[in-house]
Amino acid sequence: MSLVAEAFVTQLAAAEPWPENAALYQQLKEEQILLSDNASSLAVQAFLQMCNLPIQVVCRANAEYMSPSGKVPFIHVGNQVVSELGPIVQFVKAKGHSLSDGLDEVQKAEMKAYMELVNNMLLTAELYLQWCDDVTVEEITHPRYGSPYPWPLNRILSYQKQWEVRRKMKAIGWAGKTLEQVLEDVDQCCQALSQRLGTQPYFFNKQPTELDALVFGHLFTILTTQLTTDELSEKVKNYSNLTAFCRRIEQQYFEGHDKDSPATVAARPAKRSLLR
Amino acid sequence: GLLSTWDGKPSYFFLFAPVKRSSSRARGGLGVQPCGSVTRPVSPGRWKAHLRVGGLSSPGGGFAPLPLSDAWSPGSPPAGNPSHGPGGRHRPLPPPPLLPCRRTAGGARAPPCEGSSAALPGPARNGGQDGGSHGAELLGRRLGAALPAPGVSNRHEDVPVLISEDIVISQPAKILNFLRKQKYNADYELSAKQGADTLAYIALLEEKLLPALLHTFWVEAENYCSVTKPWFASRIAFPLRFYLPGKMSREALNRILLTRGGPPLYSLTEVEAQIYRDAKECLNLLSKRLGTSQFFFGHTPTTLDAFVFGFLAPIYKVCFPRVQLQEHLKQLPNLCRFCDDILTCYFRLTVSGHSPAGQDTADANLQKLTQLVNKESNLIEKMDDNLRKSPQHPPRKLTTLKLAAGGEESSPLNRLSP
Repeated sequence: MSLVAEAFVTQLAAAEPWPENAALYQQLKEEQILLSDNASSLAVQAFLQMCNLPIQVVCRANAEYMSPSGKVPFIHVGNQVVSELGPIVQFVKAKGHSLSDGLDEVQKAEMKAYMELVNNMLLTAELYLQWCDDVTVEEITHPRYGSPYPWPLNRILSYQKQWEVRRKMKAIGWAGKTLEQVLEDVDQCCQALSQRLGTQPYFFNKQPTELDALVFGHLFTILTTQLTTDELSEKVKNYSNLTAFCRRIEQQYFEGHDKDSPATVAARPAKRSLLR
Repeated sequence: GLLSTWDGKPSYFFLFAPVKRSSSRARGGLGVQPCGSVTRPVSPGRWKAHLRVGGLSSPGGGFAPLPLSDAWSPGSPPAGNPSHGPGGRHRPLPPPPLLPCRRTAGGARAPPCEGSSAALPGPARNGGQDGGSHGAELLGRRLGAALPAPGVSNRHEDVPVLISEDIVISQPAKILNFLRKQKYNADYELSAKQGADTLAYIALLEEKLLPALLHTFWVEAENYCSVTKPWFASRIAFPLRFYLPGKMSREALNRILLTRGGPPLYSLTEVEAQIYRDAKECLNLLSKRLGTSQFFFGHTPTTLDAFVFGFLAPIYKVCFPRVQLQEHLKQLPNLCRFCDDILTCYFRLTVSGHSPAGQDTADANLQKLTQLVNKESNLIEKMDDNLRKSPQHPPRKLTTLKLAAGGEESSPLNRLSP
């Protein structure tokens, strides 16, 4: 968006308070959603919970196509639609809620750097695993991705998406990596996060920020999703403070809402290892 | 041939070859042809590694895909070079530098090299096996893993390439890891948290700053046509020079569009606006993080400083027609001071672009060699006269004179301009 358009949208956003019927759209939880999308969606949900903003999760098969940027999740607030965590954080800030106001400049820079680290490493590793690793693609991704659609549309859509993701991987240089190297990268990222977290409850000590939401989204999804192998979740489980962190956030922000809680989400991905 | 170096001064090396007596008169007796540059002789017996930078024989981008730049004189636009022939809108580059890496008694100083493996600064500490503390270990493992060379291409012949004895290592991360194993480690004193911060900031640079950097160099039409393409084409052999720069440009555009170009940005101008906005934000963040300290983690430079320098220095120093990122960078004085400091300390450049120490050594060497040449030419004239006076003898063969420092080290490199 151009600067003018952005300023315009921000002004519109600021004009109205947060409505009660705000909705978050994602793909179908049980049959369709994939690892990376689930992680992103959970991150946004965690962030909104941390801001105490009510949100309903709506599952639609074509959520990806409804989204303005082609990525899930997106939120529908009032008459505006915003997708992806970054723009959602800015949108929420325009409405007057922010988690990172108490940070000084250096800490904000650090927070943004760590968010980029998570996006650069964890998200890309998840995408690699689900679209470039042949075993996972055959057993999990292809069956799940096109499941709401009839044959041959389901195969066409999933091949199209796979081709797109593989092109992107090639452009950034991940196409040549083996699975072991990718898992090694995930390990490095988790080690960095673990060392940054240390013994604190949150990354910036007392209060959670969007970084905590993002890390929670990714790590929780990795820990609770069953794939063809357990290697990915094992990498995260090596760091006890990260698992404690995930549990803490789950208890604090998701306990009361049984319907949307990630605990129930966690039970469902147990089915992911089965073929549909 | 006569080559100019980064500071515009012509420099010479002397080529000694066996010459016939009859032709020796023409050139003052020795068949000496001034060409190339004088090198500081590296004494044998020290550990040497050669770092080849610049996209010469190897196509492919590498990190910040720049050969050593002549055009980095700050401020001045790349005017035609008076000492080198026609056609150059910018000064021609020095031949491929083979940087000798020295290990001195107290510690070691890694060679300065361009791109992401720019300035591996700081004396090494002889730490543990993998180079020391926890933070360093984390970095070592991370950077030693097969990182994609965050540049245009990821092919085997990427630059920079480190050649040490028989080992050839090609990606910046692997080079750093190798150096770490050789006990050259700049992150020895970092804590674990600082090591983690380093990774995070490197990720930030790759995500936010790299697209804009690629765009400035390879996609922006005016910059590409007037600076980047002639620059690379001048160093690539015929006929690849007509094809490879275009390919690198297409790959850069491809990468930008694939990683940043999705909806709601539908046109290239929108994508460009977005990536420049992100890059400026990234520069602001770096400036805030750096604050008033000399380096990112206190008083000694670390890997993060090297990476940041590798990204910032091209933006700061290369003279492009379209310079919006450079102008933004110049408004952040602490980052400019950071770049200047590293250039002064580790590349032996003063801010004005001259290298005083290098200049003096070069002059001294030049003087010595001139004296040597004069002495030899006097000797030969004497011999000539003797021979003329004496009865007819078969002409004696002159002994071949070799340059004192030996073949390899005398390759034309002195200016270590990044």
